[in-house]
Amino acid sequence: MDMHKRVPRNIHREKVSLGDWRQTVARIWHYLATRRRQLAIVFLLTIVTTVVTIVGNRLNGVVVDSYISKNKLRMLLIVCASMAGMYLISSVFTYFQNSIIIKVAQDTSAHIRRDVFANLQRLPMRYFDTHDNGDVMSRLTNDVDNINTALMQTFVQLFTGIISVIGMGLAMLLLSPLLTAITLLSPIATYFFSRRIAKVTQKVFMTQQQALGNLNTQIEESVSGKQLVQLFDHSEQTMADFNRTNAEYTKAAFRAQSFSSVIGPFNNMTNNLAYVLITAAGAISILTGHGGITVGIIFTFLIYLRNFTGPINNVLNLINTLQLSLVSAQRVFSLIDEQPEKDVPGAVHVTQTAGNVTFDHVSFAYETRPILRDVNLTAKQGEVVALVGPTGAGKTTIMNLLTNLYPLQQGKVLLDGRDVTTIKRQDLRKLVTVVQQESFLFSMSIRENIRLGRLDATDDEVVVAAKRANADFFISQLPDGYETVLSENASSLSQGQRQLLSIARAFITGAPVLVLDEATAAIDSNTEADVQTAMTALMVDKTSFVIAHRLSTIQRANQILVINDGQVIEKGTHASLLAKQGFYAGLYNSQFDTQK
Amino acid sequence: MFRIVMQHIHHGARWCFFLAPLIMLGEVFCDLQQPTLMSQIIDNGLAKGDLGYVIQHATWMLAFALVGVLFGASSGVLGNYASLKMGEALRSHLLQVALIDRNPAGLEPATLITRITNDVIQMQNLVMMVTRGLVRSPMLLLGGIVMSAIVCPDLAPILFIIMPLLVIFLLIVVRRSVPRYTRMQRAVDTVNRVMRENLQGAKTIKAYVLENHQRHQFNQENSHLRQSSQSAAMATVILSPVIQLMLNLGVVIALSYGGSLAISKTISDGQIIAFVNYMIQITTAMVQTVNIITSFSRAITSANRVQAVLDEEPAEQRSTPTAQRPTGSSIDFDNVTFGYQQSKPILNQLNFHVADGQWLGIVGATGSGKSSIIKLLTASFDQYQGTIRIGGTDIKQLDLPVIHSKVAVALQDSLLFSGTVRGNLTYGAPGTAAQLAQAATIADADKFIDRLPGRYDAAVEQNGKNFSGGQRQRLNISRAIIPDADILVLDDATSAVDQETNARIKSRLEQARAQRTTVIISQRVTNVMACDQIIVLADGKLVAQGTHAELVQRSDFYRQLVHTQLGGGNNGHA
Repeated sequence: MDMHKRVPRNIHREKVSLGDWRQTVARIWHYLATRRRQLAIVFLLTIVTTVVTIVGNRLNGVVVDSYISKNKLRMLLIVCASMAGMYLISSVFTYFQNSIIIKVAQDTSAHIRRDVFANLQRLPMRYFDTHDNGDVMSRLTNDVDNINTALMQTFVQLFTGIISVIGMGLAMLLLSPLLTAITLLSPIATYFFSRRIAKVTQKVFMTQQQALGNLNTQIEESVSGKQLVQLFDHSEQTMADFNRTNAEYTKAAFRAQSFSSVIGPFNNMTNNLAYVLITAAGAISILTGHGGITVGIIFTFLIYLRNFTGPINNVLNLINTLQLSLVSAQRVFSLIDEQPEKDVPGAVHVTQTAGNVTFDHVSFAYETRPILRDVNLTAKQGEVVALVGPTGAGKTTIMNLLTNLYPLQQGKVLLDGRDVTTIKRQDLRKLVTVVQQESFLFSMSIRENIRLGRLDATDDEVVVAAKRANADFFISQLPDGYETVLSENASSLSQGQRQLLSIARAFITGAPVLVLDEATAAIDSNTEADVQTAMTALMVDKTSFVIAHRLSTIQRANQILVINDGQVIEKGTHASLLAKQGFYAGLYNSQFDTQK
Repeated sequence: MFRIVMQHIHHGARWCFFLAPLIMLGEVFCDLQQPTLMSQIIDNGLAKGDLGYVIQHATWMLAFALVGVLFGASSGVLGNYASLKMGEALRSHLLQVALIDRNPAGLEPATLITRITNDVIQMQNLVMMVTRGLVRSPMLLLGGIVMSAIVCPDLAPILFIIMPLLVIFLLIVVRRSVPRYTRMQRAVDTVNRVMRENLQGAKTIKAYVLENHQRHQFNQENSHLRQSSQSAAMATVILSPVIQLMLNLGVVIALSYGGSLAISKTISDGQIIAFVNYMIQITTAMVQTVNIITSFSRAITSANRVQAVLDEEPAEQRSTPTAQRPTGSSIDFDNVTFGYQQSKPILNQLNFHVADGQWLGIVGATGSGKSSIIKLLTASFDQYQGTIRIGGTDIKQLDLPVIHSKVAVALQDSLLFSGTVRGNLTYGAPGTAAQLAQAATIADADKFIDRLPGRYDAAVEQNGKNFSGGQRQRLNISRAIIPDADILVLDDATSAVDQETNARIKSRLEQARAQRTTVIISQRVTNVMACDQIIVLADGKLVAQGTHAELVQRSDFYRQLVHTQLGGGNNGHA
């Protein structure tokens, strides 16, 4: 248990350097490169649709100037018909463009998820000990989603935005530099205004986030501690504390959000201002005869204004989204880059073992904390070895070293005289079956859960294993029997039933070496008896190591090792250790002394 | 949903809530003036060469733009205030309901927490949206239609054809996409579940060499997710090109039809331009309205979830207490039956008596009803049959604080609050330094507290995660000892401490609480052996009662419990 302190990783505010960025972009590109052809098509379609939009918008003005004002009805209708055709093409292209993007983005994020998961499966146990599940989950879900959004929206919008801005900018400049300058005014003002607001509000927003954090913590604590709050009559105090934090949050949020709620109206206003200025400046130029401006040109600019500020604001906003998704991409890639468990070079296949196990001067430290000190033990084929001692003494660590779950630091662990680190991990773990205190059950059928012990086991073998584990009885009483699909964390089963299933799973492996971590908490007495007989049956003909809490198990053991502070302090049988009147005897008496 | 908002919006906030959309109408009105004024400049100013007219109308446009931003900004700020105040009141109300809730079949803590945190924020955003977007976009849409019909009545039929077509199209797309999004959400849940399980079960996967098997399973679910996401996104991908096309075609029709009318001098250039401008405004407003409706439907889910919490608010209050605080500390259960469902009682016809100063042990399996006894004794629930008495007084006649000061409990899950060790220990009652130290000693927590930096002022992180399970349990026991209550209950409070420590706590507690009513609940026989009276529970029924020695003699059930826990043959007398 000593290794299971989770060290939550600092996930906020990961600073990213430009060099890292280039690398990250290169890696995203690496994923996209396999869809190069589709992307090239998107690229072409985007150019076509953008150009068509620009030309179409310009034609609006031309129609007014050249045909309506000059009474050319036939030409008017011809040009309008061709405009309709162009818009139709543009919409069809947009549809295909978006469809391809969706496909590429989803394929890519599925691809990334697959890669991350594949590597995650091969990471050493230490990774899982030292990383918060929540953090890893958020990389697999939120961060991959962020990349997906970046690919799907940001990428295209940025691209379309840039092409439109350049294309429309050129078209506008050709028509009237003056009106172009006015049109540009709006997005530029918006940009600086939001920058300014962002600067002013950054601090307020941080205060708001902090207040929100406090608020959520208090809600979490008081709701999960509800029973305590009630028992100790603390609800008034709790509510008073909460209302204070709540008011603080509201105040901070009001300050922060009022600033940002002004941004929308402000943007609207700059747009309207540009609208006014285009109309006024255009009209004045026409009246004073400057700059060759016509009513059609004013019309064109008014349409461009609507189509232009959209993309340019997008480009500015998207830069933020893009930054966010690059950070996400980095968090995801760092998971792919984690070093997986690797066998030592020249590791050998071993498919059979007699089951003689030796620990030879084994020491182990976790980070700088020593866990095991000079442990020696020998278990011969078929023996039962019980490990006893206080929690945190190092019993579980000893067993983790036997299956090479953690890298051995000093000394040797031998299986039939062969150093376990030189055996291929997969082979070793097939030779040694581990039944944890709480083996994990997956949300699949009971049959599939048992079969996880040996994937090629037949249905009959599953039933036989369940029978030998005393689990068949309760399984057959379930409405769906072996096909019952377990809920997440198998919460529909009792603790004892879960143990019986994990014993059945261990039965089916048929491995010659067994490690049993007995559950400390007692379960209901009927099931407890079932569990004990099942465990005893499981140990038959196997070299078994039991991290023991039950007297019945301890008394049956061929050897008992008493572990304290990472050392084997006593060794012997139940009788010999009691006679010794040492640590074991003390432990035993403290537990079973009834006449204080 | 509207009801929840109305119930939690008071005073100034209520005014703001109604004022914000009204003011928003001002902004919409200003926005709608622009194209009309523009067309007047073109038709009257330009055609007649009247510079003064141009400048005058341009000034009007400018004025409308500036007044518009005032309306917009103040509406935003007011809406913001209304939504935050509503959120504050709602949050506080929900927590209050959650804390006083004494319904045994209530919502899970995890569910409650998400509802009070996320869902309230969603509701808050919703109010913000209602005050701004829900008025702005539809009003712009309607106003745009009206204004364009006024400016250019000849072209208005174009809108009356295109708009209904667009609405029908939108409805079809939405109807088609909803089931696909539901399917996608399900696929997302499955993939998340597989991921979560692989993280939680990492050790099992390694032990049984299941890496490839699991990866294969994940890849299947992953590609299923990919397909359903694609299918969902494809259902709505048609939306924007079609809206765009309809608008553009409308513009083209306006130009050609309007152009031909202009040629025959029925309408002017300015009118056509204004009409096209309104059409662009209308389409934008249309897209925004669709977006708002989508987020609205999401917020409705939140509102329903919040309502479910509010529904837990107890309708009837506990009747006013009629009895004084009892002096004695005996406990009586008379024919007590309790259950969430009538058909499946958790406690069934329970009878026992604990004399003042006696120690009671309760043993039984998980789910046998041990903890429910304590919940009833501390009046966590009222819905039971029979009578429970403390010191001879029916607890239904006692005030809750009286019961709670009479009975102190160390609960099974040793939850700690973030703060300090001292803050946690004095949660139930204030205590002097000496009292704290004494309680800590009894619970064998003194030694590790002394090693902490700052000792009793050492920080406790959320959920006490900077302490081990055993340490948390020992702090939990100390906390229950400090009020020095007449009745002390330990509900399986030492399950995570090692056997030596357990024994130490047991003997110190026996000394400290000699001749005082104490209840020990445990799954382990060793913890209750020394009690004056032991009751054995199975399936909510009392199956045996007596001292350890008597029970070993009399009860097969108890004997078997002793046998499985203490090993064969020695009957617990080592």
